[in-house]
Amino acid sequence: MRRWLVILVPYLWLLVFFLIPFFIVFKISLSDIATAIPPYVPLFTGLSDIGNYLSQLDFENYTFIFEDPLYVNAYLSALKIAGISTFLTLLVAYPIAYGMARAPKEWQPTLVMLVILPFWTSFLIRVYAWIGILKKEGLLNLFLMNLGLINEPLTILNTTTAVYIGIVYSYLPFMILPLYASLEKINPALLEAAADLGSPPWKSFWQVTFPLSIPGVLAGCFLVFIPATGEFVIPDLLGGSDTLMIGKTLWNEFFNNRDWPVSSAVAVILLLVLVVPIVLFQRNQEKQREAAR
Amino acid sequence: MSEAATLGTSPPSAQQRAPLRTAAPQSGFAPWKDPSKSPIVRFENVVKRFGDFTAVKDCTLDIYEREFFALLGPSGCGKTTLLRMLAGFEKPTSGRILVAGQDITELAPYERPVNMMFQSYALFPHMTVEQNIGFGLKQDGMPKDQIAKRVEETMAMLELGKFGKRKPHQLSGGQQQRVALARAIAKKPRIVLLDEPLGALDKRLRQQAQFELMRIQETTGTTFIIVTHDQEEAMTVSSRIAVMDHGEFRQVATPGDIYEAPNSRYVANFIGDVNLFEGKVVKIEGGFAEIDWGPGLARFKSVAPEGCAGDQQVWLSLRPEKIRITLDKPSEGNNALPGKVVDVGYLGSISHYHVELANGQRVKALRANSARTVERTINWEDNVWLEWPPETGIVLTR
Repeated sequence: MRRWLVILVPYLWLLVFFLIPFFIVFKISLSDIATAIPPYVPLFTGLSDIGNYLSQLDFENYTFIFEDPLYVNAYLSALKIAGISTFLTLLVAYPIAYGMARAPKEWQPTLVMLVILPFWTSFLIRVYAWIGILKKEGLLNLFLMNLGLINEPLTILNTTTAVYIGIVYSYLPFMILPLYASLEKINPALLEAAADLGSPPWKSFWQVTFPLSIPGVLAGCFLVFIPATGEFVIPDLLGGSDTLMIGKTLWNEFFNNRDWPVSSAVAVILLLVLVVPIVLFQRNQEKQREAAR
Repeated sequence: MSEAATLGTSPPSAQQRAPLRTAAPQSGFAPWKDPSKSPIVRFENVVKRFGDFTAVKDCTLDIYEREFFALLGPSGCGKTTLLRMLAGFEKPTSGRILVAGQDITELAPYERPVNMMFQSYALFPHMTVEQNIGFGLKQDGMPKDQIAKRVEETMAMLELGKFGKRKPHQLSGGQQQRVALARAIAKKPRIVLLDEPLGALDKRLRQQAQFELMRIQETTGTTFIIVTHDQEEAMTVSSRIAVMDHGEFRQVATPGDIYEAPNSRYVANFIGDVNLFEGKVVKIEGGFAEIDWGPGLARFKSVAPEGCAGDQQVWLSLRPEKIRITLDKPSEGNNALPGKVVDVGYLGSISHYHVELANGQRVKALRANSARTVERTINWEDNVWLEWPPETGIVLTR
């Protein structure tokens, strides 16, 4: 009985804060736009009228989204930007995590803390700070011009490049931590064994270190890719009009067009798109747990 | 090459194996006594310091081809450091290391003609048994079909045939140990280093594995250098043992010499059981020393060691199995001391006796239970005589 109670708590949480809101959003996505409060019809008025209520729901918004290239492009562009920035994050994070794992044992807790430290400041403020760095008369341009490397200020802010910089910066800890966890577990004797059998250090890295860190690579990539796909704040603040991402489209649909049904449909499709990497992520975690046994 | 031919043959049966081993010490395999032989490994005044701590103090040592050489000592004595310097994982603070006359002190581990079997086995967890064993061959750029052939041969030699496709975590401890050994010998290195190779096995498996190591060493004709803290293991497998303590060699000799002719109390104590008597030399006559053992003990005769002088403090080392324990006073000629039995340990094949002498010192003696029943067994509180020929005790000066 008590065991049931323990299991019940998380399920209740998920029901109240995930499943019920999801069904509300899903229902709205099947409704039609209306000039009213709330801005859609039909509204649920009671069980007596349920037949009429259900008959007004349809998948019109979904067909609309798939027929309008704007939405499809926004999804594809979001996936592309998320994919590229995940790869860039991996490139930046791997050497950092590797250095941390190889650092003296007594330094490692401090290094982990330094990686987590940015979380102590609001995410929004940190993204705003990048505007100050990247803008035309910003710190980066001033620095490069004073060094004499460039004569004209670079246009970085309000481009896709700025979005990449923002995503890589913001999600770096989510990549570093799982990588560090898997690199730190590697027995140093394995590298000695590889060297002893005739493998120079750079070959040992690709033959031993990297394959053994793959669970960490996958975990980090999913942890970056999944939230980056639906990212809104970074493209909104740092990206320009040419940066098409589904999170931004969703926001526009909701707040500018006040078209709740279509934006709900966009949100439901986004969730379905992300189910694939989420399931893959969970399978990776499962495999890791098995290997650890 | 003959080496390649023997490596390929299936393992010889137990009956064939036994004489191979027993023949070795008698057949006069003693290249360290032959001045025309040059050593395969030479440590030349090797010193290793870690900060303030000196792990290895000025060690000079020659190891010869086909030897099974043991570095024996308690943990922290520097034996593993010495081995790791030979593998290239540590650099000597000063001194040189030569392999077959070539100075390898500055070579990286992956450039050295030695392969090591690690204490933790260090098998690559993401590779199969076959890939683990073939790893070293792949690094040498050997063609794939030849790698497969060599891996198969090596697996056959270690009876690993069935496990080729398994991952290390799917193997038992004993199987992992054999894979680790197979990986270390697959490249046919001139020297194989073994760092506490059997430490993780239980006692029965360990004895089996010791004989396996000896068999592999003999069939491949490779020089093996083993690091161990287990004196029985060192005695069983090796052609010579270097007893180490605090970064120094205390004695380098064959197992027989180490046991029967230790050069110091440390070595005598470290290898096997021993009784030590402390005394002072009174005089030396005809090769025998008269030693004063203090009040209560007769001045029995002992062979005088070289460079022993009057008034010197010495210790007599006497192995328990060399002492005969009797109820009646023995005849003249041998050394004999009276005492009282304070403890008896019956182990089936042998019995241990603890005998207290007149001065209160306790002496251990062993007796083989060769007859099923004895008319009169020796028991607690019995007054007994301990008897031994003068040559069996060794007088030590340090």
